[in-house]
Amino acid sequence: CSLSLPPVAMSSAATTTPSVDKVDGFSRKSVRKAKQKRSQSSSQFRSQGKPIELTPLPLLKDVPAPEQAELFLRKLQQCCTVFDFMDTLSDLKMKEYKRSTLNELVDYVTVSRGYLTEQAYPEVVKMVSYNIFRTLPPSDSNEFDPEEDEPTLEASWPHLQLVYEFFIRFLESQEFQPSIAKKYIDQKFVLQLLELFDSEDPRERDYLKTVLHRIYGKFLGLRAFIRKQINNIFLRFVYETEHFNGVAELLEILGSIINGFALPLKAEHKQFLVKVLIPLHTVRSLSLFHAQLAYCIVQFLEKDPALTEPVIRGLLKFWPKTCSQKEVMFLGELEEILDVIEPTQFVKIQEPLFKQISRCVSSPHFQVAERALYYWNNEYIMSLIEENSSVILPIMFASLYRISKEHWNPAIVALVYNVLKAFMEMNSTLFDELTATYKSDRQREKKKEKEREELWKKLEDLELKRGLRNDGIIPT
Amino acid sequence: MEAFRLMKELKANFEQEANYLPKEAGLSLIESTQQNGNGISAKCRDAKVEDLWSLTSFFGYGTQTFVLAVNLLDRFLAMMKVQPKHLACISIGCLHIAAKVLEEECNVSTTHELIRISQCKFTVSDLSRMEKIISEKLNLQFRPVTALTFLHLYHAIALSHTSERKETLNLDKLEAQLKACLCRIVFSKAKPSVLALSLLTQEIESLQSVDMQEIAERIQAHLKIADSDLLYWRELVAKCLADYASPECSKPDNKKLVWIVSRRTAQHLQGSYYGPELPTIPEGAWDESESEDLSDDASSGEECLSSSLGSDAEGLYFPTHYCSKGRKAHTS
Repeated sequence: CSLSLPPVAMSSAATTTPSVDKVDGFSRKSVRKAKQKRSQSSSQFRSQGKPIELTPLPLLKDVPAPEQAELFLRKLQQCCTVFDFMDTLSDLKMKEYKRSTLNELVDYVTVSRGYLTEQAYPEVVKMVSYNIFRTLPPSDSNEFDPEEDEPTLEASWPHLQLVYEFFIRFLESQEFQPSIAKKYIDQKFVLQLLELFDSEDPRERDYLKTVLHRIYGKFLGLRAFIRKQINNIFLRFVYETEHFNGVAELLEILGSIINGFALPLKAEHKQFLVKVLIPLHTVRSLSLFHAQLAYCIVQFLEKDPALTEPVIRGLLKFWPKTCSQKEVMFLGELEEILDVIEPTQFVKIQEPLFKQISRCVSSPHFQVAERALYYWNNEYIMSLIEENSSVILPIMFASLYRISKEHWNPAIVALVYNVLKAFMEMNSTLFDELTATYKSDRQREKKKEKEREELWKKLEDLELKRGLRNDGIIPT
Repeated sequence: MEAFRLMKELKANFEQEANYLPKEAGLSLIESTQQNGNGISAKCRDAKVEDLWSLTSFFGYGTQTFVLAVNLLDRFLAMMKVQPKHLACISIGCLHIAAKVLEEECNVSTTHELIRISQCKFTVSDLSRMEKIISEKLNLQFRPVTALTFLHLYHAIALSHTSERKETLNLDKLEAQLKACLCRIVFSKAKPSVLALSLLTQEIESLQSVDMQEIAERIQAHLKIADSDLLYWRELVAKCLADYASPECSKPDNKKLVWIVSRRTAQHLQGSYYGPELPTIPEGAWDESESEDLSDDASSGEECLSSSLGSDAEGLYFPTHYCSKGRKAHTS
């Protein structure tokens, strides 16, 4: 995937940009941007010019126990105040105060007992909502390539991180009661949380991942809703926008969910696999989340091996035709699937599977060929091939034999030798038969080729003779 | 007549074959040597010959080249005391010599390529030196008489007698069977004419052609091959071919082949392992301390343990329209 470059600045005759601003015809700005990390802006409205004043509160540890609960609430309310980090000079003292307060709250939630009253729940959720829920600014849309460019980070991270940290400890606290919390952590909350997964800041996404994982675990009533929303996000991603930054994180959460599926698998889950996870392989930016996606797929197959055939057929259907990097990924995933495949399932898909592998092995892109040939170094796959060599060998033979003679890359040729040798030892009779057939086919081809050439030559001679006979002029 | 000429040629070759036999004493010594002993064991030799067969096939050399290479190898091993560590070099050397003699020059692979593909440790100059030694010791004459020579002659004779017949001997199949036999050192002790005749008669028996049987008997008489000899070798051949044709796969017990991949692929292979960081969330998990769902879902009568669809599930799993997203209203 190549870096997309900004359009060349068109300068009219009237406004001439000085030559020092141009580097190879592109404006300096773009070059500078590649090196800088620019912070995100948040589109929150704040009344300009009014400095924020928060009355400093005493520390929780300095206050007698019965007063702590109320102090806790007041601190939470104070932390609802959001500061503008884009302006690096404003409210420095207050920003620091909020930061240390948040820090204190994190510690407090981790160690304390009996602090969590019913009134605390809505205040906690409110504080978290105020801080984290915001409209994410659009990325430098056409220019941001998630694989190449540096992400723009969240400017208010010093506060934001602590809010996330606090929330996670809160959720994990021994005193936490989902029955109370579910009044405030509801579908609307979850929806907003999911939107945040599109943040460009990977640190934020990492926290969100943990938050959502805990919420899914504790709120049984929200599970179906969460699954459906993730479903929508993925479908939108695959079929509409091909833009969403949080796919890898969501897939990680799904991995832990799939791992916990009860057997027999529900139809809903199987649908998800076929209608969402498989098509997810077609996206251009697959490399960003492929590891997590492959994990999910393999988990599904370990739960229900009967799904192997539709999964592999799906992958074969979406096999990359023009992107070698993706092909290598697919081959990696396929090997992971084969590592856990049951022999009865293997037999069902071996023909289309090895037809594709045969094509990969012949690929002029050496990494694809190499990755495919390396399957023969996998002991389990080898044992499966051995059991079914009478089917697989004829499929692979022609391409293997051909590339042993024709491939440009000597390392590939050496690997092919390994594979051919393995086949030879597996099933000598069949191998010899195929060699003989191949050789006689080639000889027949060569003979036909020769006959064709001779025919043309004869025609040429005839033409010449005819031309000379007529008028001595050789026809053109 | 064609048949007469062939029979004459047959007799001529028969008289020559003794010159190209490896020394029986030497072969017996190899057969009796222990696997990890000082000299070459039978298993060692057999494994090397199988490697030669792989290389022959890979480089597209003919069966003749392979047969000649094995003949050279056996003769050399039978007369010289050889250390196992030199066996690879010797066998490749024999193959290369055979290829140079029998193959078209353009088809002979370079020594460099031979060494690279066979994953051997010795150098090109090592190989050249070894080839010289082999050539000297064996006093090389071109086209020694081998079992393949006889096989071709027998086939030609059979062909000249059975032109009207539909069943012909499949020479390719016979050659393949010969190769399989040559991978066992025991067959190097046989006289090539007898070995070839054993193969021929085996095949004829499976075809159940009375006419061909007659031809085989005539050949046997012509060459004055004893019944006992023929029977003895036929038995061994039968056993060998049974193994060769069996669907059971033979796992090689010699060294594993080295899989060398490019740096990029190696990185890819290493970095591809992905382990889960988040703990598993069991479906329909029931945490005893959380009683909220039980009290709330009592009215719906659902079995809380089995159901993963909470009370918030909304109808169709795949809605026909996207539900509207709640927009956060932020007031500072």
